[in-house]
Amino acid sequence: MYGSASTHDLPTTAATGLENEDPILLAEFEARIGRGEKIEPGDWMPALYRKQLTRMIEQHAHSEIIGSLPEGTWITRAPGFRRKMAQMAKVQDEVGHAQLLYSAAETLGKTREQMLIDLINGKSKYSNVFNYPTPTWADSNVISWLIDAGAIVNQLANAKGSYGPYCRALDRICAEEAFHLKYGHDAVVHMATGTPIQRKMMQEALNRWWPAIMTFFGPSDKMSVHTEILMRWKVKMASNDECRNQFLDMYVPKIWEIGLTLPDANLRKNEETGQWEFTEPDWEDFKRVINGDGPCNAERIAVRRAAEENGAWVRRALLTPKTQYVRPLA
Amino acid sequence: MIHSHDPRMNRLGLPDAPAAPAAKAALDQFGTYEVFHQKKEGAPYVYVGPVHAPEADVAFLFAKEQYSRRFACTGLWVVPTAAVTVTDYVGDQDSAYDTLPLLPNSPAAAVGAADSRATDHTAEEEAAYAAGEEDYDIFHLKKRGKAHQHVGKVRASSPADALQVAKAVFGEQRPVANVWAVRSADFLRSSDEDRDIWATTPEKKYRDAISYKVQDRIEKFKAENPQA
Repeated sequence: MYGSASTHDLPTTAATGLENEDPILLAEFEARIGRGEKIEPGDWMPALYRKQLTRMIEQHAHSEIIGSLPEGTWITRAPGFRRKMAQMAKVQDEVGHAQLLYSAAETLGKTREQMLIDLINGKSKYSNVFNYPTPTWADSNVISWLIDAGAIVNQLANAKGSYGPYCRALDRICAEEAFHLKYGHDAVVHMATGTPIQRKMMQEALNRWWPAIMTFFGPSDKMSVHTEILMRWKVKMASNDECRNQFLDMYVPKIWEIGLTLPDANLRKNEETGQWEFTEPDWEDFKRVINGDGPCNAERIAVRRAAEENGAWVRRALLTPKTQYVRPLA
Repeated sequence: MIHSHDPRMNRLGLPDAPAAPAAKAALDQFGTYEVFHQKKEGAPYVYVGPVHAPEADVAFLFAKEQYSRRFACTGLWVVPTAAVTVTDYVGDQDSAYDTLPLLPNSPAAAVGAADSRATDHTAEEEAAYAAGEEDYDIFHLKKRGKAHQHVGKVRASSPADALQVAKAVFGEQRPVANVWAVRSADFLRSSDEDRDIWATTPEKKYRDAISYKVQDRIEKFKAENPQA
């Protein structure tokens, strides 16, 4: 799982610091990306590239680990043994994805210890959708299908990016997430085509989640600051609006196909432009929630923090004098 | 106190406004190991990623969960990150061997057996081992962004020597964007008997995308609910 949590605060071109970089090395770096070659950890890279990638991969890792919480809470209450097993496998995958991504971020120089501290002290962000609750099984199903669907749109784009370790992690993540998407779709279809009560439950969950889903890819391009340089460096592979439009193209018809509705009277595809039209999401509310004032921000961080603190004695007990940290290679 | 939809969270009694977390000590998240897997019998071992672990046995367990939980696997190797010697990276059309210092007449000693425990060495090999040479596993990255792949073993007296020997043995292979050399004794490797740990992987159908077929249910629903 993943969402553009706070990429709206990317720097403007005027604040890139590129004037301090060695122009020859910078030209070689850009030429390598221009040739379609990946950047690997041992390569020279501009400070801005390192900083933005670190932040992006770290946020992605946090989103995986925090994103596993709202679904994890339903493992014990999932209907039937098979769904419990599948839900558990999915949650395990998400936590595994966090492991992969933390390692990819580490190759850029930030330690895992610092990333985990920055998560639990609120310094680092994660995908804003996980600050909303999953009060019913149907809410969990909406995450499994549509949040993962959005994540896959993002991740498939980013897997074509320029940083080798991130691309390798994303290739594995996308392969594992194929199951999540089908599992989530199956769960939603089961509810939507089930009894009237199940159907009502699913519709209500979809209504609850739709505003958050519409913010999943981040603010509209017209609100985002200039990201041309990050697109040129293949840090960002598609704009927020491009990803959102692709998601709507792929999934709105599937939602309508099973007789569910979406709580936006303005949602329609403009066949002339190929673009979806919709009611502009409430970006002020988005900012309020991402800055800590959402319904579940405190719970998510508190649970993550409790896990860290409760596991500390185990980690201390396992340490041996020979344990040696070296930044992961690739 | 935090109030959650999950009763288990409520039982934890988590405070609303905890004090700032203490900084983590160094090695709180352990050391690092690199992991290689074999997808099927006879295939070369390929790099899959790192794990954090306090020691090799735990690294192997974590690697098994992290990298061989979902898809077919017939073997796993883990090695401390510190044990890997890495060349410079070069372009996708070049050879990392060209970045090694030029030495006159580097020895070319390839080890034929893929298994480091092979014991049927020639007298010459036995003499080399007695003189302090050891086996090294060599991995090539053919293209940036892809994964390092095992190409074979060489016998050498040091990691730097191993790269020189590898250049003599495998240097004709191009392109090679990067080379890793690892002393073979530094690996923890799965054995033939360990393959049982992957025997049940294909049985867990609930993790396969192909197991979820919804179209029949959708068609039936649409036929019964034309107004929907």
